[in-house]
Parts: sequence; structure tokens; C-alpha cells
Amino acid sequence: MIGLPPLGYNLRSLWVRKASTLLTVVGIGATVAVLAGILALQQGFASLYEQGGRDDVLLFLRPGATSEGESGLRLETVDILKKSVPEIARDEQGRPLASGEIYLAVRRQKLDGGETNVPIRGVEPESFAIAGPALEIVEGRNFEPGTDEVIVGRALTSRIRNCSLGSTIVFNTTPFKVVGVFDYDGPFRSEVWGPHARMSEALERPGFSRLIARVKPGVDVKALSERMKNDKRTPTKVLDEQTYLRSQTQALSVTLWVLGAFLAAIMGTAAVFTGTNTMLAAIAARSHEIGVLLAIGFRPFPVFLSFMCEALALGLLGGVVGCLLVLPLHGIDTGTTNFQTFTEVAFAFRVTPPVLGVSVAFASALGLLGGVFPAWSAAMKDPVDALRRR
Amino acid sequence: MPWLLLLKNLLSHPIRALLTLGSLIIAVFLICFLRTVLVGLEAGVAGAANNRLMVQSAVSLFVDLPISYQTKIDAVEGVEQTCKLQWFGGIYQEPSNFFAQFAVDHDRFFQAYPEVQLIEGKEEDFLAKRTACVIGTELARKFGWRVGSKVPLIGTIFPKTDGTPWELEVVGIYQPSSSNVDPQTLWFRFDYLDESLEAGAATGPPGVGVFATRIAPGAQAETVARRIDELFANGPQRVQTTSEAEFQRQFVSMLGSVPTFLTTIGGGVLFAILLAVLNTMLLAARERTKDLGVLKALGFRDGVAAGLLLSESLLLCTLGGAIGVAVTMGSAGFIADQVKMIVPNYAITAETAGLGMVLALGVGLLAGLVPAWQASRIEVVDALRAEV
Repeated sequence: MIGLPPLGYNLRSLWVRKASTLLTVVGIGATVAVLAGILALQQGFASLYEQGGRDDVLLFLRPGATSEGESGLRLETVDILKKSVPEIARDEQGRPLASGEIYLAVRRQKLDGGETNVPIRGVEPESFAIAGPALEIVEGRNFEPGTDEVIVGRALTSRIRNCSLGSTIVFNTTPFKVVGVFDYDGPFRSEVWGPHARMSEALERPGFSRLIARVKPGVDVKALSERMKNDKRTPTKVLDEQTYLRSQTQALSVTLWVLGAFLAAIMGTAAVFTGTNTMLAAIAARSHEIGVLLAIGFRPFPVFLSFMCEALALGLLGGVVGCLLVLPLHGIDTGTTNFQTFTEVAFAFRVTPPVLGVSVAFASALGLLGGVFPAWSAAMKDPVDALRRR
Repeated sequence: MPWLLLLKNLLSHPIRALLTLGSLIIAVFLICFLRTVLVGLEAGVAGAANNRLMVQSAVSLFVDLPISYQTKIDAVEGVEQTCKLQWFGGIYQEPSNFFAQFAVDHDRFFQAYPEVQLIEGKEEDFLAKRTACVIGTELARKFGWRVGSKVPLIGTIFPKTDGTPWELEVVGIYQPSSSNVDPQTLWFRFDYLDESLEAGAATGPPGVGVFATRIAPGAQAETVARRIDELFANGPQRVQTTSEAEFQRQFVSMLGSVPTFLTTIGGGVLFAILLAVLNTMLLAARERTKDLGVLKALGFRDGVAAGLLLSESLLLCTLGGAIGVAVTMGSAGFIADQVKMIVPNYAITAETAGLGMVLALGVGLLAGLVPAWQASRIEVVDALRAEV
């Protein structure tokens, strides 16, 4: 009983047929790169929201509202909520860690042309206390409450006009000065923040869009939500930030997944065809050698396995090429509109280890699928017949 | 040129020819698909009426204009008529059943939008019933609504105070005559919405999202737009008046880098397929080295050997391109159904089909040239001695 033909034989065969191997590998690589690119986009988008969502931070919206853009709360309502909801945590001075915010997506010109909707948020000082150190001023300083000053999220500075430090943004007819740039590992990265009172006045939108609050540890969000829904004085919709963000981004995330799967399946089929062609040709040219292998006692199944290894090597090489093609994308900022909220989201490609893993696995699968038929036909050859061929 | 040999060569490896053909068909289909999506995303812009201006808030897509602006705009020189449009954003049963709903001036709507052509029901009923709505053919098909159907919509921006859904009655089904109007839209009466808000039966921002403004024949669109903008330059709400094409383009522009991604993917597909066909042709040429040597020894000129390989590649790609385009056309109806929420106008244009063919031929030409060039240079003696 002789085992597998030596692996070196297969690898050297790939080397002998350099041109054909190279074309196949790059072909598989291009397919894998498309899949990896879309996955990297999806990862970038998903991470923005997963890490940004805090489960001890609750949002209070108008009943029936599905997003903060639709929601609206009156000044009194927010005041009552802050004072009367016992679950809301307090700071050292005993003040509630809750902040009314006004939110509006405003028209802005993109630097590379065209228009988009940039979310702006008028906040009370507690918003910063709730965000904590995760929100960091990376350039300039924070705005002074009560002044016409704003700070902008880092993702906007390179994409939207008038969003760099020192420039002036006009909301309706009121100019605001950009005094700082902030960073945040979450969707706030693509927002403009300013003092609530001034923004509310400039936009002529009295009241708040939502109340955001940090709650005490161990609070039963479900029970609170049920209670607030049926509250007589201030009925509100309460949900935690994580749930909210997930609901806002589901559609875009699913679209990216579907697009990736669709393209990968179709392009993958084409890549399998190419792989099959390459392996068929490789085997046809080595008829004589296969005859020798079979004649000296290698069993058909090990011969089959041996050629499958060769196909796998082709796939793996393609996977590596594909990954190398997408690696330079890592960290590049890009943006689109989340059509669930009609607002601009900026996010970066993230070529994470899972993305690379899936890509290489996909490439290997392509190689193996392309190898099955040729390897099987090689193993089934009649040794006498195969030896006779030149 | 020995044509029979060309055909025999092509069929000498039927499996390989079929697999290459398969890859080609897939590539042509994918490229046509991606391009059709891109064209479809711009369809609203392409079909826009040029005598219609859209007046909206200059501040934000989500800010309404006061209702009182209507009479002021109506009075602007060069304006023939305005029609209110208010985004309703209601939910029919499930959020996933999303479709657009607009509240409009019932007595002006059909003049403002001649593209909306009723194929069932009567315009008079829209004028007569306060709760009336007209729906597009696609909505009628998707939800099985007919004239007389009741459509309950849960208000998200405009919730009813008693928590019940709004109930609208279908009085007409329309088929748009141009791609700027989506057959998946519901139009209902602005006065119904406004009176409900005033009576306290519902809550929400009182105002108008957009005034669709028809300009008088002969009036200059830009001049009229500037007049309207200047009228409200000092507030209370600044407006932005654009052509309908510009108005639609703002939504395309929101897609950001998506069109670039789609184009890049198309480029990747094209590149991968070029390599695949080139691979096939190189394999073919390698196997035929000896045949080519025989041909040359028989006195056929270098050009014939090269021409054989080039023609084989072109023939294969023409066939692949043609089938690919046919598959694209054949699947268009099915795909249009799947993607219409994102791309309402998925239709294969002649240019797209042409592009698919041209690219396939281009791949055939490039992939054939390399082996053809090799074949024309090879020495007869070397060719005859070749082992494969």
C-alpha cells in the first residue's frame, strides 16, 4: 500500500505551468477581492453601530416614532422625565444624567460635489457626561454653552464642505463657528454638535427630538419601557441605544450582505469554471505521468486526493492574491446614505481577520470545486491507456 | 482560411469550450446587471419634466415650509400653478412593506402631474372623497388592492391621537407615463391630513415638504427659480428651488460612493473574465502547437495560423456575449421584481446590451491576440517537435 503521491510533485507542476497558474490565481483573486471588499464595507459599517451602542443608555422618543428624526418631545415633557423617572442615574452633584437633544439632518455640500444630509445635534452639557471619555476632542476645543459655536465629528472634516476647524456653518440664516473636531467610535463621528438652545432657535424648532439618559445598573429596560408607554402624563417610547441603532441600520447591513453573497455566488461560479479548465488542461498534459503513478501502484483515491491538493493550492494562492488586493483599502473612509434615516453615514473599510478568513475559505472552496471533476477524471484513467499517450 | 478546422478546433475540447462560454455568459450578465442598476438609480433624473420646479426648504430635507408660502409662490411671475407635496411616512402593517405616500392638493394634483394616468377609477372620486387615495400599479399588484379597497396606514410622523391607523380608500390606480414617477407611490389628500391635524385627531408638523411648481410656457426656469428663492431669502424659512432633475439628483447624490463601488466591481469582473478567456486560449494554442506546425509546413502562411487562434477566441466571445445579453434580457423581469424597492426602474437599455457585446468582443480580441502573435512567430521545426 502506497500512500499519497508526494505533494511536491503537485506544487512543482503548478510551477511548471506558470502562465496558466498565474492567470487562474489572479482570476480567483479578483473574485475573492470583490467579496472581501464588500465584506470589509459591511464590517466597517457594522462596527460603527455595534460599538457605538451602549446598553445602559436609554432613549426616550415620542410614542410611535421609529427614529429620532421623526420624534419630538416638548420642553415640559423632557423636564418632567428628567425629574420623575427614578431609574435615571445621577452624577456626583445629584443631578440626573439625562440630556435633551434636538436632531435634524441638514443639507450640506460634499467636498467632491453633490449634496447630502448631515445630522446635526443640539445637546445639553449632560450629553458629554453620558458619552464619557469615548467622545474626545481631537482638534481645537469644545463649544461654549449659549454661543453660536459647534464641534464637528472627525468623519465629516474630509468629506463635507465648511466642516474643518475655523470655518463657518450656516444653519438657515444663523452662522455657527466650528471651534473643534471630535472623535467617537460610533455614529456620532458623522455629526455636528452644538448647544441645544442656540440650535433650537436657529432652526426654529422648539423642544427636543429625544431625551437620552444613563440608567442605574440593573434597571429592567423592558419594564420601564412598558410603564412609560402607558404613562398618563408623559407617554414615551423607551429603548436602549443598542437596540435603537441596530433598528436604524438593519436595512443597509442586510443590503450589503445580500449584495456580497449575490456577487460572490455568481463570480464564484465563473471562477470555478476557470479553475476546472486549468486543472483539466494540467491533467490532460500529464496523462503520461498519471499513467506512471497508477502503474507503480498508487490507488485511484490517493491520486484523486493528490490532484485535489493541487486544486486547493491554486485556490489558496488565489485567496492570498485576493486578500493582498483588498488590504490597501483598509482604513479608507467612504460614505453613503442610510436610507432608513436619509442621513449621511461615513465609515471606513475594515479588512478584519474574519474578512480575511472568509475570503481565504471561499477561495479554497472555489479551488476545490474546480478540482473535483478533473481530479476524478485523472484518478479514473486506465493506466495502460494513460501511459500510451504522450 | 480553413474554416472547418476553426470549428473543429473550437469543438475539440467541448468541456473547456462550454466552461469558458459559461464564464463569459456570467461576466456579461453581471456587467449588464451592474450597469442597469446604475442607470436605474438615475432614472428619476432622466425622466424629469423640464417645466416643473421643486421648492423645498434650503435648510433640510426634513424641514417643512409654511402652508402660507403657496399663495406667495403662486403670485411669482412665470409660475403657472403649485401643488403641495407632503411626505407621510406611514406604515402598512409592517415596516418592511415600505412605500412612499404623499399628501397632495387634490384639486391640483392631476394638472401638476400629467404623468399620473389613471387606468382604473375616476379623477372625480379623488375630488369628492376626503379619504380618497390613488395608488400605482405596482402597489395594486403587490398588496392586491383594487378600487374601493381600504388602506390602513399607521402614522409615524403623523400619528393619530387615538392610536388607530389612518384609513384611506383607493379611488384610482395609475400607470406613470414617465420614469420620474414611481408606480409604487400612494397619493392622498392634503386637506384630509391638514384638517385632522387642526382638529387634534392627529399630531405632527403642520406644513408642506415640497411645492411642485409648474412654470408658464415660455418662462425661463432659472429666472423663476431665482425669483422664488429671493422671495424668502430673509426667512422665516429659506427655500431652495430646483428643476425636477436637480431635485431627483439630490437623492442619487446621497448614494455617495455606491456608484463608484458598482463600477469598480464591474471592472473586477471584466478583468477576471479576460484572464479566464486568455487562459483558455493559451491552453488551446499550446495544445495546437504541433497542428500549427503542420499547417505551416503545408504552406499556409503565418497569418493563417494566427488568424485561426484569433478567430476562435472571437467566435467564443461573440457567442458568450450574445448568450450573456440574452440571459440579461430574459431575467430582467424577474430581477426587476426583486430589486424594485432599491432600483424602481430596472430596465435593460440598448446601450447596456451593446456595451455587454462590445466588452465580450474586446475580451475575445485581447485574449486571441497573445496566442496568435506567438503562433505567427513560431518556427515550423520547433512546432513539429513540440511535445504536447
